[in-house]
Amino acid sequence: MRPLGAVLTLTGISRYKNNKLMQISCDDIALALVGAETPIFAALNFNLKGPGFHALFGPSGVGKTTLARLLIGQMRPDSGGIRIDGCPRRLYAYNLERLPGWSSVGRHLEKITPASQRPRCAELAAAFGIEPVLGQRFARLSLGQKNRVNLIRYLVQDFELLIMDESLANVDERTRGRIITTIKTLFPDRFFLYISHNAIEVARFCRQVLVLRGAHREPQALTVPGLDGNGEAAPPPAMEKALLTIMNAI
Amino acid sequence: MLARRIYQFLIVYAVGLALLLGLKYLAGLSDYVIPGPPLIWQTFHEVYGRYTADTLNTFSVAVFGQVISIGLATGIGILGRQATWFGNFVKVAAYNVQAYPIVALAPIIFILLGDGFITRLVIAAMICYFPLLLVVLGVMGEPVTEIEHFYRITGRMRWQLEVKIRAFENLHKLTTVVAGSATLAMAGTIVAEFIAANAGIGYSIRIALYQSDLGKILIALFLIGICLSVYQALLEWAGAQVHRRWETIDGGAA
Amino acid sequence: MNSRRGGGLLGTFLRRGGRWPGKLLWLLTLTGWLLPTAPTAAADPLVYRLKWLQNSSTVGDLYADVQGFFAARGLTVEVKPGGPERDAIKELELGHAQFGVASADQVIRAAAKGAPVVVIAQIFQVNPLQWIYRASRPPLETLADLEGLIIGITYGGNDEMIMRTVLAKAGLDERRVTLMSVRYDFTPFYRRRADLWPIYRNSQGIVIADRMARAGEPVRFFNPTDFGVRFVANSVVTHQRLLDDQPDLVHRFREALLEGWRAALAEENEQRALTIIARFDPDTPPDLMARQLRVTRELVRPTADFPVGRLDVAAWRQTEEIMHRQGLIPRPVNVVSRLHGPAPP
Repeated sequence: MRPLGAVLTLTGISRYKNNKLMQISCDDIALALVGAETPIFAALNFNLKGPGFHALFGPSGVGKTTLARLLIGQMRPDSGGIRIDGCPRRLYAYNLERLPGWSSVGRHLEKITPASQRPRCAELAAAFGIEPVLGQRFARLSLGQKNRVNLIRYLVQDFELLIMDESLANVDERTRGRIITTIKTLFPDRFFLYISHNAIEVARFCRQVLVLRGAHREPQALTVPGLDGNGEAAPPPAMEKALLTIMNAI
Repeated sequence: MLARRIYQFLIVYAVGLALLLGLKYLAGLSDYVIPGPPLIWQTFHEVYGRYTADTLNTFSVAVFGQVISIGLATGIGILGRQATWFGNFVKVAAYNVQAYPIVALAPIIFILLGDGFITRLVIAAMICYFPLLLVVLGVMGEPVTEIEHFYRITGRMRWQLEVKIRAFENLHKLTTVVAGSATLAMAGTIVAEFIAANAGIGYSIRIALYQSDLGKILIALFLIGICLSVYQALLEWAGAQVHRRWETIDGGAA
Repeated sequence: MNSRRGGGLLGTFLRRGGRWPGKLLWLLTLTGWLLPTAPTAAADPLVYRLKWLQNSSTVGDLYADVQGFFAARGLTVEVKPGGPERDAIKELELGHAQFGVASADQVIRAAAKGAPVVVIAQIFQVNPLQWIYRASRPPLETLADLEGLIIGITYGGNDEMIMRTVLAKAGLDERRVTLMSVRYDFTPFYRRRADLWPIYRNSQGIVIADRMARAGEPVRFFNPTDFGVRFVANSVVTHQRLLDDQPDLVHRFREALLEGWRAALAEENEQRALTIIARFDPDTPPDLMARQLRVTRELVRPTADFPVGRLDVAAWRQTEEIMHRQGLIPRPVNVVSRLHGPAPP
């Protein structure tokens, strides 16, 4: 297993930040999970260019989380290559994470937020609607609040790529919209890969949607455009077209 | 908590005593076999001062031994938590060595070290060390992925934080084994004293056995039970305080 | 716990253990199992509980059993070894044994607590419990010679009683001697941390003397009896009720047992006695066993024509007096009234 965590080189950051050359490429990825009868990936190919707010979409069990783990190096493919350019610092957040229980949420965020990001942290807390619960223990929060708190602590870290695996599960639709819009506004130069089951959401907010179709399909993945909206309501025809494109891609 | 522990013990003791006395009067046994209430009371008056001092002596050795054992188990458990050669060695050694009955080794320890305080302390520490170590190894060797993931992926994980996370998440298990090891330490110290020491309540019980004096043994058991009940209540209270403290005040390394 | 209803196992059993007749049957069965057994009928097998393990110190008991002396008198006797957790007097009272071996201090303590125990024979005429010391020390010719020495005693044991009596007789208190607690091993004596160490003259005494002689350290023995401190050792006991209800049975048992002892100690039977001991004590080397047997002979039968089993009434009185003086019994028990065996004319 490749080491977790981001590998940081100062010259790399400045070059990639200036060039904005960010992309994720997978070339003929094959992977069979231990104990599974069929491989989860067989000749998976795609190319996603960043920065921006992109989606990873597909039915349950198709391998979205597995792909995310491959991208951050927690797993290795059986064959094939993964290339990630412009994103030396990669983070992966998922919806089952917890904060330690010995301090309040606010205290925890304070501890893990770099000094330069403190104002950003406060801004995110207000935008995500978790200011009222900052004094509470994580265990006492609702599921939606927990997911939002968890997302904030990743957003205040240094990263180029953030994979969000169901990070807005249990959050109501309006708040989700507001959160995604805030992320896109505050972090325009980052590469986000948003794993979601919500076709309308990914169609509305995401620039590109990587649709995983299953190892038995050819091609196994398709990249389709989203509307890349910013909170305003999308025109119904455009929305309908984007949705159809996504659903047809599955 | 304390009152409940004590009255639970008193109930158990009273039932045991009632059974003995019931047998005595049903079978018409003399005070030599099972002492009657007047003789028990008289014996209590004769020995309670000396036996209380002996019990506290044994108790202090047991507690001291338990503290050493907790420190040692924590240290070794933290060192041995990783899947390295040393970690695996520690785990295998702990599982195997814990099977040796320490009280069977006690006579050898007494021969080598004499029958003083240090020997009793060593035996008390060894008796409760292995159960503690196994629990600490289990706790420290089991990642709490949902919490640790953030720190690992952001490069913030340190061994102190890892230990703190795993200890906090398994606090109940740890406090339970600490409370259980208290009884183990006390019982082991008493047995060690019984075998070969020259101090403590176990030694007094041995003398009482030489004298075939069941009354003295009953008094000794009573004092041991009270002492243990108070101690376990204290441990439960301390465990609850630790829980409450970690839950109510802000702070922490994370 | 709900204060209106009984809790715990007993309460649960009474509430849920089925109908009352069934519960009663269970309780009676349990009680019956715990209760002592009924008095022995004449043809029932008898249990004779020894004080310690079967070895040369019990040669007469084993000889009587193996050579059929009990059977010749119509008795079926099972000779059971004793041990630190065994108390023959308690087993008599509980009905687990009909005869046993106990030391005088056990008998007197039991009598002080109302146990219905009687003595029917006294095996050891000289107490084997003595103290060993290095011959490199000046011999202990008077009790005053004990001053300044480190003396091992088993606290709570009868050697403590004996030594305290010796010291009292010598006018020595604990400021003028050092008493050291004895465990089960002799390491402190070997390491010269103690000057005197309690041993049984006819068993450990021989083993240790041999070991020390091989190490170039001959030993001597301090015998309290030589200084007028007579503390009775192992004697044969039975339940008062058995003596009252079946005196003939008790008489036959005693006669068979003492005949066994006389035969075992007879020089012409030494080889046979050693063979019998070896069957029960296979770990002791033969030559050592032979020497243990000879010392046992001297302690049980001090002279060739000494009536084995005779009760030394004066020694019993002295033993009781020692225990009373040391506060080990609250008041005198008149132990002589419990002696029912061959006594001096």
